Amino acid sequence: MTPPLLELENLGVRFGGLQALDAIELAVQPGEIFGLLGPNGAGKTTLFNLISGITPPSRGRVLWRGSEITNLDPSRINRLGIARTFQNLRLFHSLNCRDNVLVGLHRQARLPWAAALLGTAAGRRRQQTLRDQAQHLLELLEIGSLAHQPAAALSYGDRRRLEIARALASGPELLLLDEPAAGMNPSEKEALRLLIRRLQSQFKLTVLIIEHHVPLMLSLCDRLAVLNFGKRIALGTPEAVRQDPQVIEAYLGVGGVV
Amino acid sequence: MGAAFHDASLLQQMLIGALLGLSVYLPLSCGQLSLATPGFYAIGGTTAALLSTRVPALGGGDPTYPLSSVMLEMAVAALVSGLLALGIGKLVLRLRGIYLAIATIALVEILRVTTLNQEALGGAVGIFGIPQPFNNPGGYAAFTLVVLALICWLFARLEDNRTGRAMAAIRDDELAAACQGIDTAQTKLLAFVFSALVAAITGVISAHFFNSWNARLGNFDASITTRAFVVFGGSRTWLGPVVGGLLLTALPELLRPVGDLRLIVFGLVILVGPLLAPQGLVTPERLQGLGRSLQGLRRAPGGGEPTEALDPGPR
Amino acid sequence: MGSDFIQLLLNGLSLGAVYALFALGYTLVFSVLGVINFAHGAVFTLGAYFTYLLIGGAVGANGLLAGFQLPIALPFWLALPLAGLGAATVALLIERLAFRPLRERNADPLLALITSLGAGVVLVNLIQLLVGAESYAIPSGSLGGLPVAIQLFGAQVRTVQLLLLLVATVLLAALSLWIDGTRSGKALRAVSEDPTTAQLLGINSHRMVQIAFGLSGFLAGLAGGLVGLSVSLAGPYFGIGYGLKGLGVLVLGGLGSVPGAVLGGLLIGLAEACVPAAWSGYREVVAYGVLFVVLLVRPQGLLGKPLATKV
Repeated sequence: MTPPLLELENLGVRFGGLQALDAIELAVQPGEIFGLLGPNGAGKTTLFNLISGITPPSRGRVLWRGSEITNLDPSRINRLGIARTFQNLRLFHSLNCRDNVLVGLHRQARLPWAAALLGTAAGRRRQQTLRDQAQHLLELLEIGSLAHQPAAALSYGDRRRLEIARALASGPELLLLDEPAAGMNPSEKEALRLLIRRLQSQFKLTVLIIEHHVPLMLSLCDRLAVLNFGKRIALGTPEAVRQDPQVIEAYLGVGGVV
Repeated sequence: MGAAFHDASLLQQMLIGALLGLSVYLPLSCGQLSLATPGFYAIGGTTAALLSTRVPALGGGDPTYPLSSVMLEMAVAALVSGLLALGIGKLVLRLRGIYLAIATIALVEILRVTTLNQEALGGAVGIFGIPQPFNNPGGYAAFTLVVLALICWLFARLEDNRTGRAMAAIRDDELAAACQGIDTAQTKLLAFVFSALVAAITGVISAHFFNSWNARLGNFDASITTRAFVVFGGSRTWLGPVVGGLLLTALPELLRPVGDLRLIVFGLVILVGPLLAPQGLVTPERLQGLGRSLQGLRRAPGGGEPTEALDPGPR
Repeated sequence: MGSDFIQLLLNGLSLGAVYALFALGYTLVFSVLGVINFAHGAVFTLGAYFTYLLIGGAVGANGLLAGFQLPIALPFWLALPLAGLGAATVALLIERLAFRPLRERNADPLLALITSLGAGVVLVNLIQLLVGAESYAIPSGSLGGLPVAIQLFGAQVRTVQLLLLLVATVLLAALSLWIDGTRSGKALRAVSEDPTTAQLLGINSHRMVQIAFGLSGFLAGLAGGLVGLSVSLAGPYFGIGYGLKGLGVLVLGGLGSVPGAVLGGLLIGLAEACVPAAWSGYREVVAYGVLFVVLLVRPQGLLGKPLATKV
């Protein structure tokens, strides 16, 4: 049996007196779309920060394909194949959309020193290939026409799409999406759902996604985990999670409509 | 000869200003508020002063100092300051914002006071009689122009490839850049070291041009004035600090007719400049706009409205 | 030996008190705006010149005001606070010209490093234009009936140093009482901790910025007058060296921390006083050396709060 792609063992973090995450156990299998649900402040984004190396955990381990990556810095973790988006959007606002994606292509963009400095024909061709690649990614996310717009000029939904394009550019196996549908209207949400499905199969991605919109999550995800007050209170298929009494009480509220 | 002599000499100082502006710009273009440039400039100047006055072999017996020796001094100065920048950079670049600024001010002051106290480095008096590779300021200006052009070209190449983009990304959002797989520490260090090299090379040229060198040439005032070059010219493209360096170095000279009020006016200019143009004089947007109107002019040679020819098709 | 030690201690403490006053001025502004006021050194210098003029000192032959002398000659204890008020006024003017326009335009706050330096350059050169570049001394006789030096534990101690120490202590105590014990002091702290929330709570942060600048100018002016009396006014640029060391003190103690500024000032003052005479040339770098080490080991300074990154 192959090991899980990503495994969290007894992961916990404290901020001062606050136990933000406590004894989290999770195993994400290759190729699945795994959802994280939970009320605000449940620790979902904190969990992303631990996985992507931004926040060091107080205890526990993060395993990638069976080997430990717990205290690596964010750039190393990205280079291993984990890319993420941010809940409150962290685009490079002074760069245009295409350059934002080109930054994501950083690792592939390496050129021999001489070619980079002298701007040889081979170097220029390479730059053109990279630009085409970036353009292609923008088009996949349906924002190809905005390539030359500064990121700061984009609408909210387009910025979320640009963040996904940028994350894909670094060639991840695991994509962490932090509330990608926030601020979108129902039809945009539906389009996003289809898009994530499409990207997942096209790039053979594993997706870990945080989202508040429960119907979207239930229809999109293969499995779900529910966090509340830093603890994992449920884990399973959408059907199982939806009927879990603890979940109904803690997150959906008694009598909550799903 | 008077006026021409003076003009070439002013031009030379302006070119030095542009080089120093580029040196400050580099760390700033990846968001690092380093004020270390005058320290490395001083290392370059001291290296050149020491080598050219204490190593007779470099003189070559000619009345004019050989240019190859100047190049050699540049190599030595670049090596010394590059190694120092590598070591110091590893330590200080962990600091952010104003902390980094203050640490680099401290570095500059430590270098200055050490030079001041070491007779071997020139001490309080300085080093005099630095030999001249050119017998007039015009020669210096031509040489410096070549150096500046070369460095500008390198900067332009840099901004066009992955390292330049990585630097811009770090300036905008260091954490997000790291999450795209950019080794932020290494990129910042690269900018810091390259900045030190530019400053050191400039110091070598200055030492010969000024004919003497002392510790006061790399002080806190220089930290801030060189930073002003970049704020003035703009810190988002390499052309900004070049323009800022040229203009702000020329300004006190151009203000000479107002006499004693000169430095007061200079102070007023750096007080008001950032208020009027917070992004600096040269921004990528303005350059693009300029490029487009030039294109427009070319397409409509009759001197027609440049705006008409601006958008020939959908973008 | 014992008297040498006391002399050393007093030298260090009185020097440290000046640094502390300096750093406090920086800290007040830093805590409300998050930037360094590079014109602070010039305000200090102005305080010294104001004091000199107010005690009836005459301007030398080199400036526009050559030979000028105020018609009155105040005693030092009266001239000093007035000079402090003058310096505070100038600090407020600097806020108006170099800081407020940036806030009004929502510009990058770090631009204030340049604009404030511009203001400093203008002030320093204005002083030079008006009163020349020569140095002035405030006669030690200005202290009225007080003796120039007194015996203390067997050591010969200059009265000026004691006075410096005394004034600094009183000011520092008053300042911390003000910050901890009054409404406006608490408001200042609230603004420094969270400007947005403070605004929501109805604290006028604009007013707090003015208070911070006024106070920092007042402290700098007093420090300038006292140093002028103790050492002399060594030309229009003499505040800059103190200003730079004040930065070191500021970081040593922790940016934005009042007790930190005091502790940092005293530590650096003492460290400088302990530099042996043979190494006196390096006295100036003690502050920077200490600063450098502290920055690398503990970037938040001795008493500062840890720096947090927000995601």
